[in-house]
Amino acid sequence: MDRRLMVVLSAAESADYSFADEYKGPPLPYDIPRAVPIDVDRIPLAAVAPASAGLPDLPVVHPLPSPSSSPLKKPPPPHATPAPPLPAASPTSVIENHAAMDRPGAEVSGALGSFGFPDRSTDLSEVVDSSGAIGFSDELGNGAAWSNEMMPNRLSTESALSSEFSFLSSASGDGDEDEAVALQAKKALLVTFQESGQSSCSMSPAVGVTPRARSEDLEMKTKKRACHRCLKGSRFTEKETCLACDAKYCSGCVLRAMGSMPEGRKCISCIGSPILESNRERLGRSSRVLKKLLSSREVQLVMKAEKDCEANQLRPEDVCVNGTKLSLEEMVLLQSCSCPPNLKPGLYWYDKVSGYWGKEGHKPDRIITPHLNVGGTLMQNASNGNTGILINGREITKVELQMLKWAGVHCAGNPHFWLNADGTYLEEGQKNVKGQIWEKPIMKLLCPVLSLPFPSKVANPSGEEVNNLFSRAVPDCFDTKALQKLLLVGHHESGTSTIFKQAKFLYSSVPFSEDEREDIKLMIQTSIYNYLAILLEGRERFEEESLDEQRDKQHLDSSGDVAFDKQNKVTEYSISPRLRAFSDWLLKIMASGNLEAIFPAATREYAPLVEELWKDSAIQATYSRRNELQSLPSYASYFLERVVDISRAEYEPSDMDILCADGINSSNGVTYADFPFPCLACVGSSIDDDDQQEALLRYQLIRVHTMGLGENCKWLGMFEDVRIVIFCVAVTDYDEYYEDANGMVRNKMIESRRIFEGIASHPTFEQMDFLLILSKIDLLEQKLDMAPLTLCDWFDDYNPVVSYHPDNKNRRGAQIGATKSQQAFHYIAVKFKRLFFSITGRKLYVAQANGLDGDSVDAALRYAKEIIKWEERLVCGIPESMYSTEPSSYSH
Amino acid sequence: MSVAELKERHIAATATVNSLRERLKQRRQLLLDTDVAAFAKSQGRSAISFNSTDLICCRTLQGHTGKVYSLDWTPERNRIVSASQDGRLIVWNALTSQKTHAIKLQCPWVMTCAFAPNGQSVACGGLDSACSIFNLNSQVDRDGNIPVSRILTGHKGYVYSCQYVPDQETRLITSSGDQTCVLWDVTTGQRISVFGGEFPSGHTADVLSVSINSSNSNMFVSGSCDMTARLWDTRIASRAVGTYHGHQGDVNTVKFFPDGQRFGTGSDDSTCRLYDMRTGHQLQVYSQQHEGDDNDVPIVTSIAFSISGRLLFAGYSSGDCYVWDTLMAEVVLNLGTSQNSHEARISCLGLSSDGSALCTGSWDKNLKIWAFGGHRKVI
Repeated sequence: MDRRLMVVLSAAESADYSFADEYKGPPLPYDIPRAVPIDVDRIPLAAVAPASAGLPDLPVVHPLPSPSSSPLKKPPPPHATPAPPLPAASPTSVIENHAAMDRPGAEVSGALGSFGFPDRSTDLSEVVDSSGAIGFSDELGNGAAWSNEMMPNRLSTESALSSEFSFLSSASGDGDEDEAVALQAKKALLVTFQESGQSSCSMSPAVGVTPRARSEDLEMKTKKRACHRCLKGSRFTEKETCLACDAKYCSGCVLRAMGSMPEGRKCISCIGSPILESNRERLGRSSRVLKKLLSSREVQLVMKAEKDCEANQLRPEDVCVNGTKLSLEEMVLLQSCSCPPNLKPGLYWYDKVSGYWGKEGHKPDRIITPHLNVGGTLMQNASNGNTGILINGREITKVELQMLKWAGVHCAGNPHFWLNADGTYLEEGQKNVKGQIWEKPIMKLLCPVLSLPFPSKVANPSGEEVNNLFSRAVPDCFDTKALQKLLLVGHHESGTSTIFKQAKFLYSSVPFSEDEREDIKLMIQTSIYNYLAILLEGRERFEEESLDEQRDKQHLDSSGDVAFDKQNKVTEYSISPRLRAFSDWLLKIMASGNLEAIFPAATREYAPLVEELWKDSAIQATYSRRNELQSLPSYASYFLERVVDISRAEYEPSDMDILCADGINSSNGVTYADFPFPCLACVGSSIDDDDQQEALLRYQLIRVHTMGLGENCKWLGMFEDVRIVIFCVAVTDYDEYYEDANGMVRNKMIESRRIFEGIASHPTFEQMDFLLILSKIDLLEQKLDMAPLTLCDWFDDYNPVVSYHPDNKNRRGAQIGATKSQQAFHYIAVKFKRLFFSITGRKLYVAQANGLDGDSVDAALRYAKEIIKWEERLVCGIPESMYSTEPSSYSH
Repeated sequence: MSVAELKERHIAATATVNSLRERLKQRRQLLLDTDVAAFAKSQGRSAISFNSTDLICCRTLQGHTGKVYSLDWTPERNRIVSASQDGRLIVWNALTSQKTHAIKLQCPWVMTCAFAPNGQSVACGGLDSACSIFNLNSQVDRDGNIPVSRILTGHKGYVYSCQYVPDQETRLITSSGDQTCVLWDVTTGQRISVFGGEFPSGHTADVLSVSINSSNSNMFVSGSCDMTARLWDTRIASRAVGTYHGHQGDVNTVKFFPDGQRFGTGSDDSTCRLYDMRTGHQLQVYSQQHEGDDNDVPIVTSIAFSISGRLLFAGYSSGDCYVWDTLMAEVVLNLGTSQNSHEARISCLGLSSDGSALCTGSWDKNLKIWAFGGHRKVI
């Protein structure tokens, strides 16, 4: 042992390996904490150990757990170890002790963390250097640990320690503060030692301790009112208190104990737990300590977080009004009314008619806004009165009776009064107003004498608008809770944008702002040039074809006439040179993809030309053959017919134009609209409880562009909080094709299926409900006549004839005369349902819609809302309601 | 020439291009006699040894209520901006771990954020297909929000990445889902040049990442879902200077090597690669064997190099954060297993400009700052 000590001493003497080595790394961006080099001569361990010859007399430190033991295992309880004369109870505190014994004032480099751990690759002396303290304590207990591998427990200690030391901010690490820490710090550190081994999320030693553990720990302390972390200071030092556990920290420790304060002033371990009610008044009120430590902006943000964060809010179920617990909506209502009560958890009574508010069993406390739809009915014994006189059904207290007497109310014979919010009162069962309580000016003085409330001026006399939640600013944290998100996706041109726009028209008071309209106008004008270009392209093709035909014919007619005259090169698809120049220019622009670059400037300039072009017979001839132009969208004709109007600069898109336009905004960005579903007042049924509950619910329809909806979709993870995914498929897609980036022609329906598969199997949407909207259902009927459904490979087993067979599933009571399109709709729906079931094993909901028909979109979106409600009920254990799951009951 | 004929010729030409590309690849393969690790080994170098306590988490920045998607450091003053799914940008003081600004965004689906070189403004972009600029010094409105000072619109797809050109407050490069990168003039809000798109040498899929060469700010590299990284010269928008193949998955992240002659990439195929900018060669693959089936390989979400370039920090979707020795291609430390590690996917990471600290952002809503906790002799 002596030999080993010698090693320690000699190693410590060499300057290279002193405990507080000079930092040689890259320049540090932060202020370097104050330090404590080790005075070797004064290390008590080194002195004590050789002096005491009798080894058994030495205080034995419990050995550290062997490396094989799990790091989660607690080390032996610190209290069991005898402390003096070695203050060491664990390596941690030994180190701590060293630090404390040192002279203050010197610098601790950021490298102080190297106190603990032997770098196994280094030579012995370095080992000794860096882990001298640990080596000691181990040696005293059992020498075995000396040569041991690094232990999990030690590691955790070490990292906790080094985080403690190496990143002190300038605010926290005064050297002289460390001086007295040693002995007191021991216990706190020991506690954290255990904790840091246990919880991986603790950041600094004080972190892992639960509030209870800490308070117990604190009780053992001799010095009360000291900082809970550094255990220094007295009641006079300025401290900051944790709102949740009342732990107090001095200015040096606040930042480390509270971290980044995501919920305001709380210890890191208290984050997420509710605050103490006694601290509610302090919410959002800054203290001097914080102001000293942080910039004003930082303080502001901390206070904002403190006030707004959910964990710090009063929980509605803690407040009980007239015997019923509040709901979230009622709570918001109470807090946001013009004369709010001072809410704390507890039991209250509330007189809705007069606005009286008080604690259960007590006289009125204040007069708040009357007519709030909050809580249950007022009980007669709410304020525990014994006078026999009733006001609005509540037996009043003696003090109130006194007030009534002063107000000049006759109270003989225990009358029952109705007291209105404006102070007028009448006797029960009578019509005539008997008087006004508040009208005597003296009342304003007398009420405070009896410590009774007097109504404030702002009280809202009419009970009409007070219960309207939408006019109020709802706190942020409630806001997000009440927002139900619906994600609308689909392949390009599947009708998502139309459904989205239709929803905006249906539910928003201002569907589109000026800017949005301007954007849409530009979009329509750009796309009309697009359509024109497609027409012109088609024209060229037709011209070529008819020329070929002519040539062939000529070839046959005048066999081998080489002088094929140029005059004959005119077909019905030919245009004048001037228009041809324009046409070529436009096609060139299109080819280079610079169409956006020339707009909107081009609109004014080329409007006459466009008009001329449109009226040209060649274009009209081409237009009549538009069915042959695959790339021309179906709705293009809607705009092309009015191309002359639209290409004018003063064109203003109508609502219909907006609906028909391709897309929502020119940037393909995500678009979203918030709206409450208006109550179905038109149905005539009274609003049931559910709908009332939903008063606060708002829905957000989010429509994302399909761009990037590939298999590796990078951003679907952002929508994990949506309640339902609405996937749109245009039923007319089954015979439509498009060309992908590689020039491959693909069927759009198959492509929709591919995207659907991708989204349904996306890990983000593992438990998500899906609603499939089959759009453009209105176009299906006529299309089916022209092209059978079997044109699409996926639908090759479609056999509509069978559906007329009585046994077919398609034939349900109401649909004996099912139209072709309905059959096709059901067939496609089932195809998707089976696909969905094979991917997820769950049920796919299906609805149909026609984007241009507001009612059908409304129905589809309400269906989505119902699905959300069903799922909520399922979660609550209530069986699915008897709502008809109309299309989905036709199951796989 | 008829359409059918044209198509035929197009197909033939594509086939030729592909076969030529294949031959090029083979030739490259022949020339590539060694990689960095093999060479270093032959030179007798050994990997840096790290203790698990050498890099420790010294700050946890809590305050976001959604997944953190992106972060960026200021060049000076140790501030960090982070973007999260809760629809907020938060500017942090890395020293006190306090928020200095919280910016509520119009469009909550934000994917990227960046600090201007002067530290006075931040940029962010996301699913709204626009890049919004906020001046941190501007007056807050009634609700305490900082108003947008400029919106850069013009992309036709989501903005997945943005970075300011170093030393130029007014220049910004974004990459987008519309397969292009754009160089912007922030003051006017105009596009200066568009990289890719209709030009044949541009990316053929969403561009996920850009990194600007710090020693020559005219050069930048972009990584894309088309499994390639491309090098661009901001003065020549018409074509990519180089295309770098090799990855078998989307290239999620690119980062220039500190010397500006190489760059690193991180991909969905769970590998990081180091490319030489001038020769176009892949110098090294940084990958680990993963047990289990292929579907579970974690993807590389973000990478960063240490100042010297010896260390490569790579964040993975599994929550791991490996510290690679770039020379030996060995993992010397895994921050994902150390104490206080993140509990979910590490979505972004960045090194402070002086190289003293590493910040990681995660889907567990937190950011953590890691710094050197130990003492060590200079290697």
